[in-house]
Amino acid sequence: MDDAAQAGAAGGPRVGDASRLMDAGGLDRLHAVLRDLGYQVIGPAVRDGAIILRELGSAGELPFGWGVELAPGGYRLRQRADTAAFGHSAGPQSWKQYLHPPREKLWSIGRTDGRLEPPDPDGQDDRMAFIGVRPCDLRAIGIQDRVLAGGDHATSRYAARRAGVFIVAVNCTEPGETCFCTSMGAGPQAGPGYDLALTEMTGDGTHRFLVDVGSSAGAEVLAEVPTTPADDPTEHLARSAVQEAAGRMGRSMPADVLHDLMRDSYDAARWDDVAARCLTCGNCTMACPTCFCTTVEDTSDLTGEHAERWQLWDSCFSLSFSYLPSGPVRASDRSRYRQWLTHKLGTWHDQFGSSGCVGCGRCIVWCPVGIDLTEEVAALRAEAAGRQGAPGTAGPGGSDQARP
Amino acid sequence: MTAQLTGTGHAPAVGHSVPARYVVRSRRDETHDTVTLVLRPVDEPVPAHRPGQFTMLYAFGVGEVPISISGAPVGTELVQTIRAVGAVTRALCAARPGEMVGVRGPFGTDWGIGADGAGAASPMPDPAGRDILVVAGGIGLAPLRPALLTALAGRERYGRITVLVGSRSPEEICFGDQFDSWRQAGAQVLVTVDRASSGWRGHVGVVTQLIDRIDIDPAATVALVCGPEVMMRLTARALAALGIGEPDIRVSLERNMRCGIAECGHCQLGPVLLCRDGPVVGYEQAHQLLSIKEL
Amino acid sequence: MTGVSAAELAAHDFLRGLRPAQVERLADAAVAVAVPAGHRFFEEGGRAAQFWLITSGHVALDLHVPGKAPIIIETLGRGDVVGLSWASPPREWQFGADAVQPTEAFEFDADEVIGICEGDHELGYQLARRLLAVASGRMHWSRIRMLDLYGSPEQRGGMS
Repeated sequence: MDDAAQAGAAGGPRVGDASRLMDAGGLDRLHAVLRDLGYQVIGPAVRDGAIILRELGSAGELPFGWGVELAPGGYRLRQRADTAAFGHSAGPQSWKQYLHPPREKLWSIGRTDGRLEPPDPDGQDDRMAFIGVRPCDLRAIGIQDRVLAGGDHATSRYAARRAGVFIVAVNCTEPGETCFCTSMGAGPQAGPGYDLALTEMTGDGTHRFLVDVGSSAGAEVLAEVPTTPADDPTEHLARSAVQEAAGRMGRSMPADVLHDLMRDSYDAARWDDVAARCLTCGNCTMACPTCFCTTVEDTSDLTGEHAERWQLWDSCFSLSFSYLPSGPVRASDRSRYRQWLTHKLGTWHDQFGSSGCVGCGRCIVWCPVGIDLTEEVAALRAEAAGRQGAPGTAGPGGSDQARP
Repeated sequence: MTAQLTGTGHAPAVGHSVPARYVVRSRRDETHDTVTLVLRPVDEPVPAHRPGQFTMLYAFGVGEVPISISGAPVGTELVQTIRAVGAVTRALCAARPGEMVGVRGPFGTDWGIGADGAGAASPMPDPAGRDILVVAGGIGLAPLRPALLTALAGRERYGRITVLVGSRSPEEICFGDQFDSWRQAGAQVLVTVDRASSGWRGHVGVVTQLIDRIDIDPAATVALVCGPEVMMRLTARALAALGIGEPDIRVSLERNMRCGIAECGHCQLGPVLLCRDGPVVGYEQAHQLLSIKEL
Repeated sequence: MTGVSAAELAAHDFLRGLRPAQVERLADAAVAVAVPAGHRFFEEGGRAAQFWLITSGHVALDLHVPGKAPIIIETLGRGDVVGLSWASPPREWQFGADAVQPTEAFEFDADEVIGICEGDHELGYQLARRLLAVASGRMHWSRIRMLDLYGSPEQRGGMS
């Protein structure tokens, strides 16, 4: 677990060493090594017209040569000119599908004549390896870690599951049309938290990966995979491709003003505008890699002697998400869209110390009516600037009265 | 993230993420729809609570709800007062002595009442040397009761202690048979009802109207307010208008809860997660939270 | 019953802000009274010929309900005015009123006060504004009571 530790194998790669080069065939070997170690290897694959995440039987199941065309409310697969395995983004799923499952049994409990047995927590047997974690998604995992495994939650189911995960990140060289990880400080270079990080190179007829080691566990795994030391020109090529990607994002967001903008926009007219379009379907919350809200379902069998508690994904777009005995608190569509956006971009900072957004663009792509939060933010910002300029309005940043 | 995997079983925290078992030692019908249960631990008791905190009470096979602890932090028994307003609370209100329920907690911020031990752990300072004004609406008296009992047990620490109780009708006054003992312990207690029944000779009117009946030194007063949201808003406004500083008006906010441990997202009110940063907050923060519609 | 000085009157919340000369004029129409618990100030339907400014004690407004003891609809005390119906037609009490505890008050002859105000419209305007504030406040709190905030969802018929 100690990222700075020496690797087990004498002479093998270590954290902090110069990068290695691996050819495309190395992916098969990497997959096999992880399988032999007992990991369930999960990665992207094509199915039903999209690139989804699923358990991979071999590296051959990766989406070689597949790319995507992205737009608000639009997603299409396209054939690439090359055979890149990771030349795509913003699939409908994120890794939270596995780390924070949509349905999970928490515990079961028995009862006899009013006496309860001690609750029996459900076992966990998760040993997962993720191949193909984009930098935005890696950041998202870190954000969920803070919510679900930080502080009091050190012994949570999430924390236990998370401790056993092996991450192979993939740096981005080709941002999607709806990406803005650069704005959110979440890419296109993977931040800390990976065991191995790959940078895919498919120029000049070759198909190779620059490999960085991020942990001693990563070093141990890489030691079993054929690699060569990376030469300077090749390494330079890979690093520049990632750096240049930062300048080719499809969208941008003014990340440093978002917290205050959300705080001061509760009464903005723009919410009515977006509410006229929003279906409150909750797709964005399902696709978003950081959305973590859950509900619980308590069930019992017909005998009344056995009960279970299940945890399920929930969405703040649901009418009954927030209620008092007198009824739902956020009855209007306007208030529920506002809750989602102001939480994601604003109050997440107050609650968890960072933004909740990583710039992956999934909410834009998977919104059936194509609502684009970068556009909404720009509109809210323009409206706030207009409020400041008008006579009788408060000073910069909105009035203190608006501070929740 | 080690490649050498050991078992990934986790040790669930009993009383935190998994319920601890408690047995109903006794029950008392406060009103036609409100019950106080005295719960005795079966497993390891949960940590001692601070006045104002709540637990998540589990009714077998039905579900869990956040319920205020209505007794002072003494011993390992939990005193909790429940009003039957839905399926889970109805099941809890029907619990008989000898039956078991599940308890997770205690959770949340507290009123800040109590000598150093309790006060030191609270984000709110203990109002030693100051007047305490308790304003309770309906079942809001339940989470305020531990604060009041703790203050009365350390009577000499505080100035005047005044309790204003508002209730729907004379039949729905909670803990009414204890008011005299509170007076004997050194509190002034005034009670009003929204609607009187025949034979009631006490105050009739909203609890905020009782504020005019007492002497208040705004600079010396810390107010603890709990009840329906509209009642807290109007009461806090009236107290602030008298000159009591907003940070000295402490309210207990309410929203539905699922996990009670800041990981399900349901109880958030703007930047505040009520199970972790509430339910007790100062009015300087609650003011805006309560005034933004559909927050 | 004794006469009332302007200084005593001026100290009452209801008359705060009136000029000394105005208070003097009102003092002529007032007497100080002290009544025991149980004293009936007026009955529903009676002619509203007086009103009281309470200085201490506890007064209940009540309504007669057949077959039961009268039901109290509002209680008043120090600083309050008891009796508003004198100020406009049909000058008839809408409720009854009695002292729940021994109560002290300034008792006003309503006809005399109305006569004073006919001659001094400025004073009349000041009293009318104060009466309006009292009525408006009581209406506000009565509306809040009608929300039945403490009622359970069933009791309120599922009303939000």
